Amino acid sequence: MDLDKLLEIGNECIHSEPPVCVASCPVHMDVIAFTSEIEKGDFAKAYKIMENKIPFSRLIGKICDHPCESKCVRKDVGGSIKISELEKTVIDLGYDAPKKAMLLPKTKGNIAVIGGGLSGIVTAVELDKKGYQVTIYEKSSRLGGSLWDYEGKGLDSSIIEEELLLISKKGISVFFNTEVNEENLQTYIEKYDAIYLGTGYWSKEYDINPDTYQSDIASLFIGGKIQSKNNSVIHCVSSGKRAAVSIDRYITKTSMLASREREGIFETKLNYKIDTVKPIDVVKKTSSIYFENEAKKEAKRCLKCQCNECIDACVHMQRFNVTPDSYIRNINHNERIILGTHSANEMINSCTQCGLCKEVCPVGIGMKDIIHDTRESMVERGKMPLSAHDFALKDMSFSNSDYFSMVRKQPSKEDSKSLFYYPQIAFCGYTRGLYKGSGKTGFLFYPGCQLSATHTDYIGDIYKHLVGAIKDKDAQNDVGLYLGCCGAPADWAGRVDLMPQSVEKILNVWKEMGEPTFILACSSCTSTFEKYLPMIKTVSLWEVFDKYGLPEVAIKKGKKELSIHDACATRHDTQIHKSVRSIVKTLGYSIEELEFSKDKAKCCGYGGLVSCANKEQADDFVNDRITESEQDILVYCAMCKDAIVKGNKRAYHLLDIIYGNEIDQAVPQKMPTLSDRQNNRKRLKKQLLKEIWNEEVKSDLSNTYDFTLNISDEINEIIEKRFILVSDIEQVIHNSIKQKERFFNPETSDYLARLRIQNVTYWVKYEENGSDIVLKDVYSHRMQIVEE
Amino acid sequence: MKDELNITNKWICDKCQESLVLEKVKVRYLEGNFEVELLKCPTCKMVYINDDLALGKMLEVEKGLEDK
Ligand code: SF4
Ligand code: SF4
Ligand code: SF4
Ligand SMILES: [Zn+2]
Repeated sequence: MDLDKLLEIGNECIHSEPPVCVASCPVHMDVIAFTSEIEKGDFAKAYKIMENKIPFSRLIGKICDHPCESKCVRKDVGGSIKISELEKTVIDLGYDAPKKAMLLPKTKGNIAVIGGGLSGIVTAVELDKKGYQVTIYEKSSRLGGSLWDYEGKGLDSSIIEEELLLISKKGISVFFNTEVNEENLQTYIEKYDAIYLGTGYWSKEYDINPDTYQSDIASLFIGGKIQSKNNSVIHCVSSGKRAAVSIDRYITKTSMLASREREGIFETKLNYKIDTVKPIDVVKKTSSIYFENEAKKEAKRCLKCQCNECIDACVHMQRFNVTPDSYIRNINHNERIILGTHSANEMINSCTQCGLCKEVCPVGIGMKDIIHDTRESMVERGKMPLSAHDFALKDMSFSNSDYFSMVRKQPSKEDSKSLFYYPQIAFCGYTRGLYKGSGKTGFLFYPGCQLSATHTDYIGDIYKHLVGAIKDKDAQNDVGLYLGCCGAPADWAGRVDLMPQSVEKILNVWKEMGEPTFILACSSCTSTFEKYLPMIKTVSLWEVFDKYGLPEVAIKKGKKELSIHDACATRHDTQIHKSVRSIVKTLGYSIEELEFSKDKAKCCGYGGLVSCANKEQADDFVNDRITESEQDILVYCAMCKDAIVKGNKRAYHLLDIIYGNEIDQAVPQKMPTLSDRQNNRKRLKKQLLKEIWNEEVKSDLSNTYDFTLNISDEINEIIEKRFILVSDIEQVIHNSIKQKERFFNPETSDYLARLRIQNVTYWVKYEENGSDIVLKDVYSHRMQIVEE
Repeated sequence: MKDELNITNKWICDKCQESLVLEKVKVRYLEGNFEVELLKCPTCKMVYINDDLALGKMLEVEKGLEDK
């Protein structure tokens, strides 16, 4: 993984970019925090926020010429936020006399500030804070300069005086009535480590660096009006602050320019969109300044401009409270540490790789590929937590084993002879399709492992329908069938070691079958094929249905309204979106589109194997999704249905409505358990072979035991939650009875047995009544216990 | 895993019909090797682990080692 490149992507994230008001404030007052505190009514905190960035804030806040306001994005939707008016109210309601500061030793150097006006006193206090001994030379008999122009026009003389006392309180020495001019300047330059010149006017023109305020004399810094040539109060303050930074850097011999690009007014990368913002008018003052409630109301109008598009759309980012900038920094750290805890593992395994973030991000940052690459890197470095994806990967290898996996050509004409009689041949499309058998497999129906596991009984019907419908229009091309798993779990788990062999296997079948078009019925298959098998032409089952016709089933046309939950894996597949909607409408349903649909589809929580790695996170996804609509949900991915039903919301698979299977509204909808699913796959293969290819699966691959296992609903829930298979439980019990390897509790008459199967030790507590076994509890651990 | 000193434990080994005794047992996971006191059959050495331990402390240690 190229971590430097990754960090660059993270830097593109504008989540932490300031709003335009802050970027246009020469001292970068944190307007969002400021208005947020006002809104809460905490004026003291709001004042602290001002104080943080604005020196002499009790004065400046009253007279600032507020360049921020003209830039506020609210300006066209009700009017700019009255930031400067708010500052005035905050001073009146939130000002608190500063606590007596400790006098720190001033050892870093001696600085002369020439001119005790606004920029001069700002520079002086800033340098004092940094540990310099500062001396001010003022030609008149008082400090403050142009501040006094506001006496009675915004500022009270008593408050000006009170605030200026700060200078002497800090131990800054002041020489009044001392004029420094071009003639005697040299003596000061020789005497002091650096000079700040802020007299508002000067007889000689110096060359002044606009970024550092350094003049052509290295130790001479010039700011304020001499440099800016304008009367802006806040620019004057800003130049004093910046000159102090420069002087400090000059004396400590650090780079004069490094990371100072964003001092003063700068351009923010944030381009806050106001398309959906409702206009709210500026709150009118009823007195010379806002009253408390008026201020709160005005502050509330502030949009708190920040880019939160992705985190607003994604419960994963919400759960971990990250946006891509910080997310990527976390990944970077996780990838680089050698010793210590990889604390970002859980987060990385909780992203569904749904791709929504990229869709909503104004600068196009997406976590999907980053997370994928990160997981691959973790696997390569042996740092991927074993338990995170273990169950799903074992399930995948089950699906690709002989229990489920199989490939068949369309039954040949020769083999189907027995079917070719009247009325069969006249009324059954499937038989006619067989009769037209060409021997050339033009299409290969690939239902996928999850649809086959959860919607088992549709698969044979779909296959027969496809043979009939396709052969009717396209006599050249037979339709074959291929059962297996596309490898999506390995892809999600970052298993670089498993993916190539999975891809290879499919590719070989494709070649052997004469390069047919795959008919895909699962959204995860679709994206896996797209990514790893681009040479294989694919078409979605829904498109085929839409094009070649739906199965003829006697269905009462639904009158319901359904919300379509698009599968996130097919967000860019507009053809699938169209076909699905067309089918739904043909069947007589109306559609209420969700806010997040099609390319903006939200994930059900199954993506990225999140339901396996972080159950709570998967629950967040489904809960977020199901609250989007009142209607029953229509899905076209088996796993979406599984997730939504488990979230206690009614969900139809597209096949349910195609085959006219109404959901009984009176009973809770149920999905097959993990064990059911493996059994269903086994059963499906057996059934199809027998029914369609007239083949008998010789040895039943599953074990039979001489006990009957009784599992209550309650225990079943536990089994599911703990990702344990009934077949494993049976093995434990079988072993315990045969070997007597078990504990016995004389009080309850329960047995407790353990058995290590592959990398997990399973514990089963049960009651034995003859050959009847009642399951009491099941749990497991991965740690190995040495019994010696 | 110490707190597994379960005095009220009623389980006996079904094969050996022996009461369980508390003894040091070796456990391993990934790069980790520990010794902990667990209940086991003194004869056949079968070690007893209850659900609290498996789903509590053991799981925690497993996760900790996986994130190392
Ligand atoms: S009013 Fe002035 S100090 Fe306040 S945010 Fe605006 S420019 Fe900055
Ligand atoms: S709406 Fe608020 S955060 Fe946005 S630019 Fe205006 S003052 Fe700043
Ligand atoms: S879960 Fe989806 S939206 Fe959230 S970070 Fe991952 S890919 Fe982006
Ligand atoms: Zn024993």
